[in-house]
Amino acid sequence: MPKLPLQFLLLCVWLATTGSSVAVSVKPQQVLDLHYGEVLFQFYQEDYFTAISHLMVARQQQLLQHHYDESELLLGGLQLSYGMPDQAERRFDHLLDETTDADLRNRVWYYLTKIAYQRGHHREALTKLQNIDHPDDALIRTELAVLNANLHMALGDNSEAADLLKDTRAAHGWEEYLHINRGIALLRAGDIEAGRETLDKLGKEGADNEELRALRDRANLGLGYQLLRAGNAGQAREYLNRVRLQGPFKQAALLGAGWADAERGDYKQALTPWLKLLELASYEAPVQEAHLAVPYAFAQLGDSQRAIYFYEQAIGYFDEQQQQLDGAIQATRSGELLSLLSQTDTGISGGWLHDTPTLEGVPSGRYLVDILSSHSFQEPLKDYRDLGYLQQLLNLWLDNIDLYYDMVDARRLAYQQRAPLIRARLEKQRAKALYQRWQDYKSLTLAQHGSGDPLDLATGREKQQWQTLRKVQATLSSLAPQPRHSNMLARARWLQGILYWQIQANYKTRLWDVEKQLQALEAPVTEASAKHQQVTEALENAQAGFDGYDRRITAMRKRILALLPRIQASRDNASAQLQQLALQELETRRQRLESYRIQARYALARSYDQIAQQSGEQP
Amino acid sequence: MKPLFRGILAGLLVWPWLLLAEPEATVETGVNEDVQNLKQQVLELNRDLFMLEEELLFPSNTQVSVFVSMDVGEFFQLDSVQVKIDGKEVADYLYTRRELDALVRGGVQRIHIGNLRSGEHELVAFFTGKGPQGRDYKRGATTRIQKGLGPKYVELKIVDQTRNFQPEFDIKEW
Repeated sequence: MPKLPLQFLLLCVWLATTGSSVAVSVKPQQVLDLHYGEVLFQFYQEDYFTAISHLMVARQQQLLQHHYDESELLLGGLQLSYGMPDQAERRFDHLLDETTDADLRNRVWYYLTKIAYQRGHHREALTKLQNIDHPDDALIRTELAVLNANLHMALGDNSEAADLLKDTRAAHGWEEYLHINRGIALLRAGDIEAGRETLDKLGKEGADNEELRALRDRANLGLGYQLLRAGNAGQAREYLNRVRLQGPFKQAALLGAGWADAERGDYKQALTPWLKLLELASYEAPVQEAHLAVPYAFAQLGDSQRAIYFYEQAIGYFDEQQQQLDGAIQATRSGELLSLLSQTDTGISGGWLHDTPTLEGVPSGRYLVDILSSHSFQEPLKDYRDLGYLQQLLNLWLDNIDLYYDMVDARRLAYQQRAPLIRARLEKQRAKALYQRWQDYKSLTLAQHGSGDPLDLATGREKQQWQTLRKVQATLSSLAPQPRHSNMLARARWLQGILYWQIQANYKTRLWDVEKQLQALEAPVTEASAKHQQVTEALENAQAGFDGYDRRITAMRKRILALLPRIQASRDNASAQLQQLALQELETRRQRLESYRIQARYALARSYDQIAQQSGEQP
Repeated sequence: MKPLFRGILAGLLVWPWLLLAEPEATVETGVNEDVQNLKQQVLELNRDLFMLEEELLFPSNTQVSVFVSMDVGEFFQLDSVQVKIDGKEVADYLYTRRELDALVRGGVQRIHIGNLRSGEHELVAFFTGKGPQGRDYKRGATTRIQKGLGPKYVELKIVDQTRNFQPEFDIKEW
């Protein structure tokens, strides 16, 4: 069985709160905006805080043109994964309007169902689930069917849950999970035989990975205990025998196997698994209970001497365990638990606690670590860790923020030194005048198309010649009329005609050349003008910009300083809550041990009485 | 003695169900609500600080970012990427399995953010890893990028080429 579907099943049965296959496709995504891909990169590594931060920045900077709608859904999903269900729900509700397409609506309803489920609002979750249209994808269909069945089971409608799973065609890789869920639903509905058949099949199947083997153990263990409860000890023993002795359910299986034998009156056989449990030197519940069960079995076999020996051993064991528990309670009250919790600050953006803290120098540490890993602790512990990360992050920003002041100051100083020089250079360059000249020429060429005066396109030399000839004519006209002057005037007119003819003859070529040159100049002239304008504006706005940075930095510094004590207070609350939960749990365990101890003492006294009676009866 | 046996047995038979039962629902508490609000406020502040930092350290006129993306990744298993701009090394990144998985699923990694003057620059990327048949594999890709006024984004793409069963390394300017 491929590994990926198993992981997604775990998501489906809510053992984790990361994004699921319905909300975010398992297949590689086609990324059209780099910044959206960057968010996915963080998201796939379960670094939710960084992913949300980057997504918020990308949205603010309008860098998600192609993925804007998806980013809204992704943000809601990330908030949900990061333990912000209230904000996520508001976002999802907002997405549900008439214009939302069917696929997006399905995914939104899926998330809303998940939120309601996590809050324990099962009826509401079921109503929301009904809004999801029948999907084409077999994997998603299976996932939703399991969710639907879980909701029915949570509402006590186990038969319906079993029927739902029966009618579901499991996607590849999901068969085992569907079976175990159906088996549980049937057992809960009281249909022991059908439940047994379903789980029996699963319990016998080969498993090629640890995840499946553990699932098979779980099925066998559950079924064994259920049969034991129903009075069918013989069959119960069969299923309990199938549980691996190397797996996580070894202790429970050994204890149950002994009780199955005892139920059938075979106390000698029962001693085999129970004595094995005593060898484990563990503090877990099955071993504690085996300490009572072993002497009980010897008593039932009539071996009072050994019964007394093991009852005394049990009392010693319970005393020792009780001392350790008292030590753990004392350590919790004195803040030892908090020191263990501080080891859980890993400097990454929150998430679940995956690694067990070290126990070095912690008295009764194993009890504390055991409690830390229990389910009721996980949510407040996650809050505690998340708050620790926020605290570290804000302290880091606070350290850096003074550097930002320095950076702005350095820029301000550089501006004050360079601005006068730049202004002087700008004055020299006179980009505005250059642009104006270009504009004038442009207007001129446009006008040429209407008026068509060739002289406007004469070269400087031609214009000079033209003026000279005109001056000559004016001078000659003012002189007394003489044939020599008339000849010269006629010659000047003739030359002017020649000049005009030359200019006019290649007028079109000249006009085309000028237009071409103006066109070639347009881009550099415009760019020079724009840059000039840009630099001028930048110079004018620079001072205001520096002041703006100062204001922004000061405002953010204030926000950091306002948040830090609130985070500390909230973290104190979370640690107090954890301490209270730990004390409750330790107290429950202490009471249970106390009860075992009383029972052991009472049974020991009875055993002594029996021996005394037997001795009295014998002459 | 029988009541003792029954009592213990009844107690024992309940707890394995916890193994099979669905996990408990999250209990909503005032503490949790408070934590949610704090998270929201810190996220908003973090966004603003992040943008401020970027504006100060990498102004848009000089900003250049280099990203790494990968498609299926069947013909090449990436170990590391080295990036040089104008002959100067700006990034040398060794990937974890988790990061590779994120890349294959469609994630895009920003491997470098820095500053460059306007104009043309040379960008060289070296990809090291295992190629087809698990052989050591190192390839380079070079391009000349044109830095203008706005921020510049460059994507280093690792693509499976099914026609010759070889990986292909491409550089795309955005």
